[in-house]
Amino acid sequence: MNDELKQHISEFLDDELDHADSLKLLQSMQKNHELTDTLNRYAAISHLLKNKQHLPIAKDFTATISAQIEQEAFYLIPNRKPTKPVYKMLALAASIAAIAVITTNTIKNPTESPQLAPQQVAQQKTTPPAQTNDTEQYPLNARINDYLQAHNNSVYTNGQADFRPLAKVTAYNSQK
Amino acid sequence: MNPYKAILSLLLFSTFSSLALGENQTDLPITGKQTLQNMVNAMQTLNYQGTVTFLRNGKLEPMKYFHAAHDGLEQERLLSLNSPLREIIRDTGKVSCLYKETKQKIEEKRPFDRSFLIDLPKDINNLDSTYTAKLVGEEDIAMLPSFIINIEPNDKFRYPRTLWVEKQHFLPLKAVVYDLNNDVLEQLLFTELTIKDSLPFVDSKSSTPPPGSLSAQQLTEAKFLLSQVPLGFKELFFTSKPMHNSSQPVDHLLLSDGIAWISVYMESKPTTTPNGLLEPKTVQAIGAINFYSRAVENYEFTVMGDVPPETVKLIAENIQLRDSQH
Repeated sequence: MNDELKQHISEFLDDELDHADSLKLLQSMQKNHELTDTLNRYAAISHLLKNKQHLPIAKDFTATISAQIEQEAFYLIPNRKPTKPVYKMLALAASIAAIAVITTNTIKNPTESPQLAPQQVAQQKTTPPAQTNDTEQYPLNARINDYLQAHNNSVYTNGQADFRPLAKVTAYNSQK
Repeated sequence: MNPYKAILSLLLFSTFSSLALGENQTDLPITGKQTLQNMVNAMQTLNYQGTVTFLRNGKLEPMKYFHAAHDGLEQERLLSLNSPLREIIRDTGKVSCLYKETKQKIEEKRPFDRSFLIDLPKDINNLDSTYTAKLVGEEDIAMLPSFIINIEPNDKFRYPRTLWVEKQHFLPLKAVVYDLNNDVLEQLLFTELTIKDSLPFVDSKSSTPPPGSLSAQQLTEAKFLLSQVPLGFKELFFTSKPMHNSSQPVDHLLLSDGIAWISVYMESKPTTTPNGLLEPKTVQAIGAINFYSRAVENYEFTVMGDVPPETVKLIAENIQLRDSQH
């Protein structure tokens, strides 16, 4: 969208655009919805600037919200939103494409390791040798699962997931 | 009407109304506490079976339930009706779970015998300082007349519950745990229940013994102590044993107020991340169980229990290492 059109929209809102140009602009807006969106945006800004009402926001507004979020319980209940078939198809196509790329690379260079981005290579170089600490690589969910199992019998009567020891229970960042 | 007569009539009406309410209360043949005490006794001594549905984490889990009792011994048995098919057996001091499809069998020793249905102390008087039990009505559950008992906590550190107790034998038919906003967190419900003269004890012996021993250790052996715990929660059991398929011991302290149970776990902090794996900075929940983790020096603590988020957080934030007490 050129600056002239933006100027016309602004003038139109301020009732400063002449009749002929106004008609021309309205005709253009019928064909181009982007112009309509711009008009609406300008109208909202204009309204905000001209409106004398002021909604003060407390200084500690963000701090209060952060504190409330911190107090909020973090639920692991899966939030099963229906997935659109289109997304499923896209995900499937992406997976197939990824497999195809990996397979092709492996066939071409069977002895080479996959290419890493420079940053990853740098990280790989600086990574210390693997530690022997048993707890390091143990997944969070498996640990929570073990804790639950030692805590009470509810893991056995819970149909939410397969809570067998070492089974992974996916954590969800679902909002309440 | 003369205004004095009107006031007098109003007073008389309100007096009779309150008397009538009082009569209703006294008409009930039993109090909430007595009903709970009868229920505890019945749950331990009767033979009964039925179909029970657990509602946890928003999912229903229907199961066949059996309770056998003989000569002071008890056995609880659950058979899942949906996948993964499994049979769970609770004997004295032990719980086993057999997965039908994989034939995998898990056995665990338990420091306390806690029913799959409801946890209550053997002596209901022990709840006096922390909960108030009220008989609030009657209702039919699974076509069986039952008393409705509200168990209200006396503070904000535990969850309220409601029990429906069958009137003839005093067995629980329904139990609901609410959060502090009175939203249902989890519940169980019998859809049918029958009393039997006797039920067989199923042999749950395993060819392989349960991994690790679960012998209680002195509470003073714990490397940490809890400087603040809500009223009524008592430290019942402490053990330090390997967990997570690892040789590293994990300290486990178990507390209870008679209804709610809280576990405190302590283990060495993983070195792969600066703050450890289990430090979410928020309380997390699985059904009615909340848990919260925090790191103290080189250790990571996790507190979990069927109590409000504030309770697990309070306990976690008041953990102190014994060495750094001074």
